Amino acid sequence: AGQDVGRSCILVSIAGKNVMLDCGMHMGFNDDRRFPDFSYITRNGRLTDFLDCVIISHFHLDHCGALPYFSEMVGYDGPIYMTHPTQAICPILLEDYRKIAVDKKGEANFFTSQMIKDCMKKVVAVRLHQTVQVDDELEIKAYYAGHVLGAAMFQIKVGSESVVYTGDYNMTPDRHLGAAWIDKCRPNLLITESTYATTIRDSKRCRERDFLKKVHETVERGGKVLIPVFALGRAQELCILLETFWERMNLKAPIYFSTGLTEKANHYYKLFITWTNQKIRKTFVQRNMFEFKHIKAFDRAFADNPGPMVVFATPGMLHAGQSLQIFRKWAGNEKNMVIMPGYCVQGTVGHKILSGQRKLEMEGRQVLEVKMQVEYMSFSAHADAKGIMQLVGQAEPESVLLVHGEAKKMEFLKQKIEQEFRVNCYMPANGETVTLPTSPSIPVGISLGLLKREMAQGLLPDIRKPRLLHGTLIVKDSSFRLVSSEQALKELGLAEHQLRFTCRVQLHDSRKEQETAARVYSHLKSILKDHCVQHLPDGSVTVESILVQAAAHSEDPGTKVLLVSWTYQDEELGSYLTALLKKGLPQAPS
Amino acid sequence: MDPECSRLLPALCTVLADPRQPVADDTCLEKLLDWFKTISEAGSSLLLLQENPCLVELLFQVLRPQDLSARVLSFSLRLAGIFAAQEDCFQYLQQGELLPGLFGEAGPVGQAAWTAPTVRSGWIQGLRSLVQHPSALHFLADCGALDTVFSLQGDSSLFVASAAGQLLAHILGLSMRGPAEGLPSLQAPDWPACAQKIVGHLEESLRSTAPPQVTQALNVLTTTFGHCHSPWTRVLWERLGPLVACLLEEDPLPAAHSLVDLLLSVARSPVLSSDCGLWETLAQTLRHLSPTQAGPLALGILKLQDCPQALRAQAFGVLLQPLACVLKAADQAPGPPGLLEGITGDSVTVDTLLSSKSACAGLLCRTLAHLELLQPLPQRPSPWPQAPLLGAAVTILRFCNGSAAPASDVGGRLCALLAGCVRVQRAALDFLGTLSQETGPQELVTQVFSVLLEHLRSPDSSATVLKKAFQATLRWLLSSPKTPGCCDLDPHTQLFLREVPELAEQLLRDPESYVRASAVTAMGQLSSQGLHATAASPEHPGGQQKSLLVELLRILSEDSEGFPRRAVMQVFTQWLRDGHADVTEDTERFVARVLQAASRDLDWEVRAQGLELALVFLAQTLGQPGSHCPYAVAPPQATLRSPPAQALQALCRVRLFEFAFRALFDCDRPVAQKSCDLLLFLRARTVPHSGPQEAGGSPDVVSVEAALQRWRAGEQGPPLGDLEPETVLAVLRSMDLEGLRGALAESSDHVEESPQSLLQDVLAAVGVLGENQADCY
Repeated sequence: AGQDVGRSCILVSIAGKNVMLDCGMHMGFNDDRRFPDFSYITRNGRLTDFLDCVIISHFHLDHCGALPYFSEMVGYDGPIYMTHPTQAICPILLEDYRKIAVDKKGEANFFTSQMIKDCMKKVVAVRLHQTVQVDDELEIKAYYAGHVLGAAMFQIKVGSESVVYTGDYNMTPDRHLGAAWIDKCRPNLLITESTYATTIRDSKRCRERDFLKKVHETVERGGKVLIPVFALGRAQELCILLETFWERMNLKAPIYFSTGLTEKANHYYKLFITWTNQKIRKTFVQRNMFEFKHIKAFDRAFADNPGPMVVFATPGMLHAGQSLQIFRKWAGNEKNMVIMPGYCVQGTVGHKILSGQRKLEMEGRQVLEVKMQVEYMSFSAHADAKGIMQLVGQAEPESVLLVHGEAKKMEFLKQKIEQEFRVNCYMPANGETVTLPTSPSIPVGISLGLLKREMAQGLLPDIRKPRLLHGTLIVKDSSFRLVSSEQALKELGLAEHQLRFTCRVQLHDSRKEQETAARVYSHLKSILKDHCVQHLPDGSVTVESILVQAAAHSEDPGTKVLLVSWTYQDEELGSYLTALLKKGLPQAPS
Repeated sequence: MDPECSRLLPALCTVLADPRQPVADDTCLEKLLDWFKTISEAGSSLLLLQENPCLVELLFQVLRPQDLSARVLSFSLRLAGIFAAQEDCFQYLQQGELLPGLFGEAGPVGQAAWTAPTVRSGWIQGLRSLVQHPSALHFLADCGALDTVFSLQGDSSLFVASAAGQLLAHILGLSMRGPAEGLPSLQAPDWPACAQKIVGHLEESLRSTAPPQVTQALNVLTTTFGHCHSPWTRVLWERLGPLVACLLEEDPLPAAHSLVDLLLSVARSPVLSSDCGLWETLAQTLRHLSPTQAGPLALGILKLQDCPQALRAQAFGVLLQPLACVLKAADQAPGPPGLLEGITGDSVTVDTLLSSKSACAGLLCRTLAHLELLQPLPQRPSPWPQAPLLGAAVTILRFCNGSAAPASDVGGRLCALLAGCVRVQRAALDFLGTLSQETGPQELVTQVFSVLLEHLRSPDSSATVLKKAFQATLRWLLSSPKTPGCCDLDPHTQLFLREVPELAEQLLRDPESYVRASAVTAMGQLSSQGLHATAASPEHPGGQQKSLLVELLRILSEDSEGFPRRAVMQVFTQWLRDGHADVTEDTERFVARVLQAASRDLDWEVRAQGLELALVFLAQTLGQPGSHCPYAVAPPQATLRSPPAQALQALCRVRLFEFAFRALFDCDRPVAQKSCDLLLFLRARTVPHSGPQEAGGSPDVVSVEAALQRWRAGEQGPPLGDLEPETVLAVLRSMDLEGLRGALAESSDHVEESPQSLLQDVLAAVGVLGENQADCY
């Protein structure tokens, strides 16, 4: 999804862990190009060894369509994470697509039903806000993303470093789903979709009203309305919309939904009612919104029934199956209407009619003249530019990376984000790698002894004033502890070595060494009043740990050499004292 | 080219060359290139350009300074490459100085557009198509493109970087072909200019201190030796081999993975594998690499066909080392002498295992996976150390689940590192499953069973571990002695044989449909092996078996999910094929019940599987002459015998015809296709000497044909009831099954996928789809 809205598949390496985010396919191709080229992930070795896990954000095929291919044909055998609803619905869409693929090309080089089954068995389902420990170091957490049932954003965390991947999300609630939400989790990187990077979407109300008006008008004049949809997802939003409208207007024209799918959809929406929005959850006890009064199961014989009707049929792009069959039957009548609620790839009848083609060649050189009305009414649920900015503000990332959008629009949003949030924003193309330096903070335990000693110095801890703490860092079993050096010596069973600095200072003094030492003693004694200055019996002078000895010069009897040495701890005093002695001693009474 | 396409082409080129007209869908450009490639491969590109001057105009447009989109620029570069692949067309384009303008320094290379990866990718793919003939090589040498290719090896886009490496290998191969073929001298001046330049660049890269550059050079060489086995590659290796060997002296080893790839690629080359120095380099590399890096090389060496025995032994030793360490840590004897002997105490391996949890898990998982790959190969080492490997797998599993208490220090630390490590558990269980292909000492097999049971029973097992444990268990069960309850089996094994089928049976009612489906398959297999009846009481032998058939039929007609129902159909088909006892008891009743259930199923795969089962029954009933394939429509005449009347009666009794006729008009094409094949086979077997003729017009035939009409129209209609063989044969004769098969064989979108449709779509989309294109589901 680098600078395009095709298949999403992002590889993140974070603190030595490799995570694949989504494993989507491109619906616009019928050959190998529909899947990401996984051979780029690792030239050597097995994917299972290289990847720590795969995360699927939601059940749309551009996010999960390549999964059975990846796990059963390419051979990835590690864990796959997704939410419970995604796990339940994903195989339905995969089966739907497989059916179309087989219908078009035969079974060659496409995953089998068995593979879908085996792939789904590798899935580990996660709950919202549950921290899942993939291994000792890697943890993931799902957040609600709106968009479609079960869609989630994921936080991936290793130590103090983290990445948030949004998948597709929607920041405004709709009729059956809530709005996306995330903690102020301050990730190092936020990877966000940017489908509507430059759009401030018109009011949803207007769009809905427009849709209902068009359906209503067609039905009123006795026409039939075809709405090609994918089995599950936005179709349910449209169903609720029509159901409510029919109820309110007391309409009688029948509404049908492709056979088998209504029951299935109902089943899943009931099962995952907690994933829908508050209103649906609240009214669920009295009335389940997904048990539609007006929407009935469709039988293919119904298409020829006289009179108005509305039919939701799969697949969504009019590229095969039931929706195409119905379209062929109804296309010739100008009273009818087809409403395309989503995007269509080239090579589908949906794409053709949306681009205004009205004479379609059919099998056997027949020409189908499309007289029915063709409408495009987007019901996809992505965050618009405002929503994306809102999410960035919510999560407060250190940097942002845009995916799943068009280059030109991304460019605009990138500038906006960089200006408003003062963070770096990236928009890599497919195949490009972005490297972000992080400064991971490493937690260190501090021993009680050391803390007590610091406290004894009297200063109370203050969060605004960082303080330096001296101690010995012990790294053991990949944990870090700061202890006093005495304790470190004890723990590690080591003997202490003393490091002393030494310095030679030459003095012009022809007297004996003992006398020079005595002069040094009295000089220091007079200056360093706060320090303990001692003259030892062996003739040397000490100030704290500093030792001064006087020696004769080997060549010049008129010169004495002062040997000064001090410990690391008394470095300051030692330097001061040396500088002092270098200036010479005061003239002694002769 | 199709005249209609020719007519549309100028408009397409105008649209593409117009920067104000964004092309709606990037897949369109890819598909256009596919189409042009097909045309070029089928005929003369020169002719194509001469007949469609708009194409050359489009390419010239690109040269003009304008705000062309990166996608169209990239498209044009690739298109030019496709055309210039033919030498006469190359010359034609050269006349207009078009190629230097596209691929030379004056082209996009120096312009702002170059920052777009798609342009760089188009440039390199264009060149890749173009470089097919000597003129192209001269062009490359003259226009300075090679230096750009060199620099693109380090491109920020993986696609571009990888393509650059591949292109260099391709250019090298091409330039050494022809006059230089055979054995050129080691001296560079004798080599063609392009080859000289590339080899010089490779030498420089191999000497570089920057690991990425070394990696790039190694990758180019890997591709070269992997794809080209001409004699000159030997000279190339003689020249570069010493530089590669020098890499081994560096610490740490740069680009270890790529080095392994290269050495294996060289070793696999028939031109080079007789080189003694190569084996020495391989041995040296094995010693040099860390245990984690050495695994893939060791496996690669063991897969080689001709390789010195000593090197094979060394490689196998490397693979076994981590397991030997595990066995030693568990204070177990490393197995029979001579197997793991001498490879027990490698301190580097122990250090790696103990360095951290992830390093330990990584090394063990890789080792187990490599051995798993090796196990089924004919060239695997012999004797195969089955017993120590079983022991190691069991030990690892015990370390992971905490049931081991090793006395050694290393053992204790390994236990701590591996405790609860799901990744290692999964790998070890997979490996254990693979080892089930062969047996082992009874004592060890008992240990295997017991550790498997521990995992299956443990409430701590994670779901994925449980699944792997179950799979491994089934593999052991299905390959173990087929005499359950035998008194010479130890109590543990007996318990195992009793418990596992019970567990599988419970899983038939699991809430998860995937689990139910797998349980169905497992139960089907167990039953085929006679392992399902172990729990049956002696008074009612086979009592359990009966209930399994009933249970599976229940799943077929009641389960709400497709996966379990499909699994049931597969089990039933297999049972019918194998002559499973429950099926043979009353085959006709069985087939009739299954077909009835399948015909009502909403899942097309269940219906298709029903046809598969019908086909097996058909072949069994009619008798299959020789090895004749059921799908072949016209078997040799000599083998045909008219089937006995009672065989056809049997087919009628199980209502196979009604099932197949309905399926013929199934809304799902694969089902209809399968049914069509089945009926064609049947017709070929039953009415061999007569072509399509008018049906007899008997009342039965008329009613069947009326029903067929209704089904074709998509109506359901009542069942046909009992049919007479004559009626069926008459209907079969009258049907145009060949015509139907032809129609079904075409893909459902063949019209939409045609080039003409593509051109129409691109043109129609101009200015219309602007707002919709980014709207994804």
